[in-house]
Amino acid sequence: MGKDQTVLAHCNLFGVLGAIPELLRIDEEARALVKGQRISIGFSVKNGPRATLFFENGNAVLREGCGSCSIKLYFSSPEKFNGMIDGTAMPLPVSGFFRLGFLLKNFTKLTDILSSYLRPAEGALENPEFLVKSTKLMLHVIAGSVAQIGCVDPVGRFSASNIVDGDIKISIGDPKSGGAAIAVSAKDHRLQVLESVPEVSFSEMSFADYQTARDLFDGKINAVAAVGTGKVRIFGMISQIDNVNRILDRVSLYLA
Amino acid sequence: MRKINDYSKSHAEFLRAERVIPSGIYGHQGPAEGCYVPVEAFPLFSSRAKGSYLWDLDGNRLIDYMCAYGPNILGYHDPDVDAAAAKQRAISDCTTLPNTVMIDFAELLVETVATADWAFFAKNGNDVTTLAVMVARAFTHRKKIVFFKGYYHGVSPWTQKIDYAGVIEEDVMHNIYVDWNDFDALERVFAENRGEIAAVIGQPYMHGNFADNALPAKDFWQKVRRLCTAESSVLIVDDVRAGFRLDLAGSDHYFGFEADLICFCKALANGYNVSALCGKDFLKNTVSSMSYTGSYWLSAVPFAAGIACIEKMKRINCPRLLNEKGTKLKEGLIAAAESFGFDLHVTGAPSLFYLRIADDPSLRLHQEWIAECVKRGIFFTNHHNHFINASLSDEDIRETVEVAAEVFEVLRARHPKG
Repeated sequence: MGKDQTVLAHCNLFGVLGAIPELLRIDEEARALVKGQRISIGFSVKNGPRATLFFENGNAVLREGCGSCSIKLYFSSPEKFNGMIDGTAMPLPVSGFFRLGFLLKNFTKLTDILSSYLRPAEGALENPEFLVKSTKLMLHVIAGSVAQIGCVDPVGRFSASNIVDGDIKISIGDPKSGGAAIAVSAKDHRLQVLESVPEVSFSEMSFADYQTARDLFDGKINAVAAVGTGKVRIFGMISQIDNVNRILDRVSLYLA
Repeated sequence: MRKINDYSKSHAEFLRAERVIPSGIYGHQGPAEGCYVPVEAFPLFSSRAKGSYLWDLDGNRLIDYMCAYGPNILGYHDPDVDAAAAKQRAISDCTTLPNTVMIDFAELLVETVATADWAFFAKNGNDVTTLAVMVARAFTHRKKIVFFKGYYHGVSPWTQKIDYAGVIEEDVMHNIYVDWNDFDALERVFAENRGEIAAVIGQPYMHGNFADNALPAKDFWQKVRRLCTAESSVLIVDDVRAGFRLDLAGSDHYFGFEADLICFCKALANGYNVSALCGKDFLKNTVSSMSYTGSYWLSAVPFAAGIACIEKMKRINCPRLLNEKGTKLKEGLIAAAESFGFDLHVTGAPSLFYLRIADDPSLRLHQEWIAECVKRGIFFTNHHNHFINASLSDEDIRETVEVAAEVFEVLRARHPKG
């Protein structure tokens, strides 16, 4: 089945914009843009997802729904919202006009920084520090998108219907010493990214290092082959990993 | 303490394989689908095999409880089967006109398998499960096929699921899935799709991965049989995995019902490559009308091997023998687990036993135990049912239980109770 604009909007909102909290954790310039700001931006997509980004004390969190926000952006269709993410369409603020400066300057700059990590310029990944940051953000985008696709994409929902309950951890290197990790919970076949990563999960897929993760995300190496070389390790309830990998295939369809 | 295997040569060869073969070793015999957790605990290539043993590239001898995922039923390189194959190879194998050994083999299957009025030969299990579904559709002029969740019927697109790479929704749009042993659900599905269901296909019991295997509930298959008959749908038993390990007359016979079509492969010729679809007379003309063939399907050597294999299985009463050996192993493993305070579940038929340490539902503890057993020369897997072969000796079982106990002790030290 092909790409659906509504599913893409979910990935863009909860996957791409969902990576902004992580961006603020790892990038000084990004954090400076929201330092001292207490503001929230709601995204309301007709026939699509709704969520709000809350900024406070240099941090951010994305929550479902946009009932209460400083600035509310309305999109008349998922295509319009996806256009904003692509940079081909402008959002329409419906409230919070007196805070438009933040939207037009700070937030726009923030998303530019995010884009620079998610769509790196040629040669940028040769910088090890950039590689780490970019890959961490991609991990968040992917995890957020996995959860959304597992909930709203028909094929993804089928995969999720085969996932037993429990937390699924995806990690890079040793998260305690410079690595990264994210976890998705499965409960009654609904997937959700967890705000904190549990020490022990029901299953885990672990990439040896950032370069391995990057190469997998970019499709340069294959996860099945990488299990054989030990660059990718799987533990625990492997049927969960198996089904998440099927959803990951859909992520590449939507976000490639 | 036993020696811990080193697999340096295996893993070096894997790097060579990976350069020229997709994923190095693809499919169920590869480290990913084979769930080698961790990969370092497992050998990746064998150098030779005999009886119940395989030797890897590093010279480690392993007692092999996967039996090539089923084909090894009499023991690797069974002398009787190999002699019959060698004799036929000296005469003819893959030729323009088939050898009459094909008829001999078909006659033997018709004589042996309860539901068989005829036999059709191919190479892999997937060849004959696919043929079975096509026959059902051709005979009934219906499209829909009912599956029991947890099934495995091969790798053709119709056997896979909508989220599998390369599968499109049209491939699986006529598939209906019901829970194993849920006859009420099956009845509902028939009521909702009256006159549209070509076939129900099922393995004789649920031997899915990552879960305790489940035998049929009382009268389940008998009720399924009656429903299929009443609704003029074809009942297909996929006996590729369990075939001849429960009953030489077919696993449907073992569970007291009659399939319309039954698929065999794996244990049919002790590793020689042949599969067979057997069925009732009323479907024979339908099969005759179909265009379904392959370059090597009528090769004579596997037929000769198959005849020798079935004759020997009859002579030694193979299913009873495997059940006895499997039961002995099962009891030994459970006792070893209990002595160190572990709750080891051994499910399915003893000849196709599935293992799971139930103390940790995530299976991590189980994976740890399996890995340590493999490192000490007992080839188990952590996700799939295992297989008993007739050459497995009491000494092999004793050694297996000793290793299992040693590993349970190691695990208990790592994971103290309480």
